[in-house]
Parts: sequence; C-alpha cells; structure tokens
Amino acid sequence: MRFSRFISLLVLVVSCGLLAAGGALARSGRTTAGITVFAGSSMTTVLPQIDPGNTYSFGSSTTLGTQIKNGTPADVLMSANTTVPASLYAAGVVEKPVNFTRNTLAVVVPKSNPAGITSIYDLTKPGVKIDEAASTVPVGSYTVQVLNQMGINAAIQANVVSKETSDANVVAKVALGQVDAGFVYLSDYVIDPTQLTLIKVPAWAQPKITYALAIVTRSPNQAAAQAFINKVLSPAGQAIFVKDGFLPLTAPVPTITKVAPAHAAPGTTVTLTGTNLTGTTSVTIQGVPAKFKVVSATKLTFVVPAKAKTGTITVTNPSGTAKSASFTVG
Amino acid sequence: MSASITRGRLLSRSAKGGAALLVAGSAVGRLAGVAAAAPLPTTDLAYVRLLVGVELLASDFYTQAVAASNANPAVTWYLKRALLNENDHYASVSGILTGAGQTPAVAGDIDFSYPAGSFDSQASILKLALRLEELSLGAYLGALAALQSPAIMGGPARIAASEAQHVAYFTSALGGKTFKSSFPDALTIDQVSDALDAYTA
Repeated sequence: MRFSRFISLLVLVVSCGLLAAGGALARSGRTTAGITVFAGSSMTTVLPQIDPGNTYSFGSSTTLGTQIKNGTPADVLMSANTTVPASLYAAGVVEKPVNFTRNTLAVVVPKSNPAGITSIYDLTKPGVKIDEAASTVPVGSYTVQVLNQMGINAAIQANVVSKETSDANVVAKVALGQVDAGFVYLSDYVIDPTQLTLIKVPAWAQPKITYALAIVTRSPNQAAAQAFINKVLSPAGQAIFVKDGFLPLTAPVPTITKVAPAHAAPGTTVTLTGTNLTGTTSVTIQGVPAKFKVVSATKLTFVVPAKAKTGTITVTNPSGTAKSASFTVG
Repeated sequence: MSASITRGRLLSRSAKGGAALLVAGSAVGRLAGVAAAAPLPTTDLAYVRLLVGVELLASDFYTQAVAASNANPAVTWYLKRALLNENDHYASVSGILTGAGQTPAVAGDIDFSYPAGSFDSQASILKLALRLEELSLGAYLGALAALQSPAIMGGPARIAASEAQHVAYFTSALGGKTFKSSFPDALTIDQVSDALDAYTA
C-alpha cells in the first residue's frame, strides 16, 4: 500500500507537465456505476477507502473547480478549502457547500535529512533547498499564509527552488531527496511516513484549513452523490479521515437543557444534561471552576465548588460556551 | 545561546513606548490605536502573534490548574491571580493585532497538552507553572529585543514585569531563591516557538 502510493507519487511528478497544461490528473480509470468525484490531491488515499466504487479525479482544487465551471462532467467537488466551492455556489455551479474535514500544514524532510533541519526556522538558513506548492493551489496559499504569519516568508522564498501544482508533487520530490524540505499537509505525512520526517509548523501560526464539498448542480446523479456525501460525513467516514491524519470537524457548540438538582450545596454532585458535551473543557458556576466528568455527549456531572456562589453555569468546549439559567448554591 | 537585553535598553524602550500608556486609559485600547495609526512591520506582527500563543497557553494552564483543585488555598489564590493577569496580557497583545486589522488566535484555536501528571499535585502544578512563566518571561524579553516599533513596546515591557513577578512567586513556592539572575535570559522567536510547540497536541 505504502510502496504503491510512493510509485503513484512518482507518476505524479512525471505528470507535472500535464497538470501545468490545466488537466486534472485522473488517477482512476474505474468505470463502475459509482459517481464521478473531483477531489483535492491530498485525498488521494482516503476517498477510495470510503467508497471504492466511484471514479475519482485528483488534482488541484482550484483547477478542478475551474474545470467543473467550464462544463467538465462531475457529480461532487471535494475541495481542500472552502473558497472554491463557495465561489462555484455563488455562480450557481454547485449546490450549497458542506464542510467535511480539516487539515494541518506541516513541513517534511527526507528521512536522511541532509540539511539537518529540526525546526521550521532552519528553513531560513542559506542554501536550504525548499519545495512548495504554487500559491494558486490551496496548500500553496496556506503555506504563504503561515510564513507571513511567522514573518519569515521573504527568507523562506529565497530558498524555494521549485513550485508544484499539488501537495503530492511536493511529497514526491522530498521523498526522492531532490529537495531538503517541503510544505505539505499533515495527512500527506501520516498516510506514508516511511520516506519522510515530520517538522511541525507551530500551532500559533497555523491557518484554519477546512475542506468543503458540494454536489454539482447539473449532476444527473444527485441521489447517489448525496448518498456518497452521507458516507463521508458518517462516523465511519470521518474515522477514516482522522486515521489518515486529517482533523475532525470542529465540535458543535454545547447546549444545556437541564441541571439537576436545580440548587445544591458545595460538595454536591450535580448532573447536567445537554448536547455536544463530549469535548467540554471547563464548567464554571458564576466564574468559579468546578471539577467535572463527561458521562456522554448529552450528560456530564460536576461537583459544586466550595467557593461557588449562586449564578450562571457555563459549559465551554473549543467551539463556544453554553450558559444555564441561574443555579442556586446553598 | 540566547540574545539578552540590557536593563538600560529595557528601561529606555519602556520609557519611549510606555510613557503614553501611563497617562490614562487601558493599555489594550491605546495599543490598538497605535497599531491602527501606523502599519506595523511584518516581523513585529509575527512576534505579537507568538506572544498571543504564549498567553493562550498560560491561560489554558492556569484554568486547568485551578480546576484540578489540588493546591492549598494560598497557592490557589496565586493561581487564580496569575490566570487573571494572563487573561489581561492576552487582551493587551491580541489588541495590538486587532488594531492592526489582524485576527488574533483565540482559546480553542490551539489544542494544548501537558505532560502526564502535570495537575496531579500542588508540587507538579507549581513546577510546570514555573517552567511556563520562565518561558513567558523569556518570550517578552526577547520580543523587547526584537520589536522594531517603539509604539508597541510599552505593553510587552509591563507584561514582562508581571511575568517576572510570577516567576519569583513560583520559585519561592518551590523553595528556591526568589532573586536569581540580574539579567534573566531573553529567548529568540524560534526558541519560544519550539518551546511552545512542546505543549501543543
């Protein structure tokens, strides 16, 4: 599996000329009854695991979007950003886009690491050969965004020796040792780490990389396309994305529907019912943090802290907060 | 190993950049105004983004430390006070970005993680608190050595003083000597970034 992917990456490098000419690389020649999916090249490995019966064309999300806009037959577009589907939706070319996964930007170096790179800042040293995707494709755009965030774009660009049309091409060149380092998605590393060493891009400079998909408006296979999207968004589909290094969709904001008992003394264990409680990071009563335990997505328990005062209970997860009606302490 | 900043230079910069801050009003609003008035160099904005990341880490740590309820009341008071300080620091440095028309990172944008057992006891909390405060202090001292815009140095200078107080308290709480180096180490941007990365998931 890993070796075959490496070979496919070699093929991708050889195919650069085709991509430069504007043609999306059709990875699969399957002619099953499945639908036709145009998808960003970072999903080359993951999508056939979710549904092997479709015909997939992988390439730059930007190029694929242009092709769909120009009338190339496709049923679903899966983009490595939200902007391409949004612009096609505005033009009436696709139905309303849906976010389906997230990713992280990363730096990869060859296993042999001839340039001795241990930090992203090492890439600014003179003589380091860097490969990155062109800024016209999502991964290249994210790369520029990160480097600007870190204030090192000019220094890095001085070391860039090649610009590719996809993250897959960057991975292939790094794996072959043609360059000292390249900017790719974390998922590119996770699905085949044998040839590469990962260098983290700092979390404080990471862009928000959200993938969105949409059904092509003129698709004659609307029902089948929707069924495929349901597979992608299902827990099983999402688990495959996460296994291959993608990030889960951001958890929805929590809600509170019931607190029982409605009043309690310090030290009492209280049960809170609501939704989206799994990723809870804090529970406070009028600002006083409480020890809590998540029981399920719809239930958690907390202990009323010694110094708690009557007031609002606030439940927080990474996406936001939920506030209860006043809770009486005492 | 790391760049350092002289006391004289620090005071000079504080005086230049911070004088206006002492007149009236909140640091946040004024820094935002300064940033809006004069475009900041890309390198300054990068440093401020890093400092925002440092403050988010500190706030996250103290939130979890307080919630763990494993410290005695006196230590807990300092943990809560430090959390309040770090939240104020975050408002200050993120205000620089907002004033420059940038979107600062917020809690939830970065998933932090800590070594196993970090919150299991008062001692483990104090040890990690000291490590993170030394990182914060080094980050601000490094920023003061590297920032190019005098107009935004006042806030970081005052925050560095606050972080130094935190370092002193946690050093003392762990039985160490409150006064240490005459010139605490300043950390470079890459040193801070790499250190911060150790606490991200």
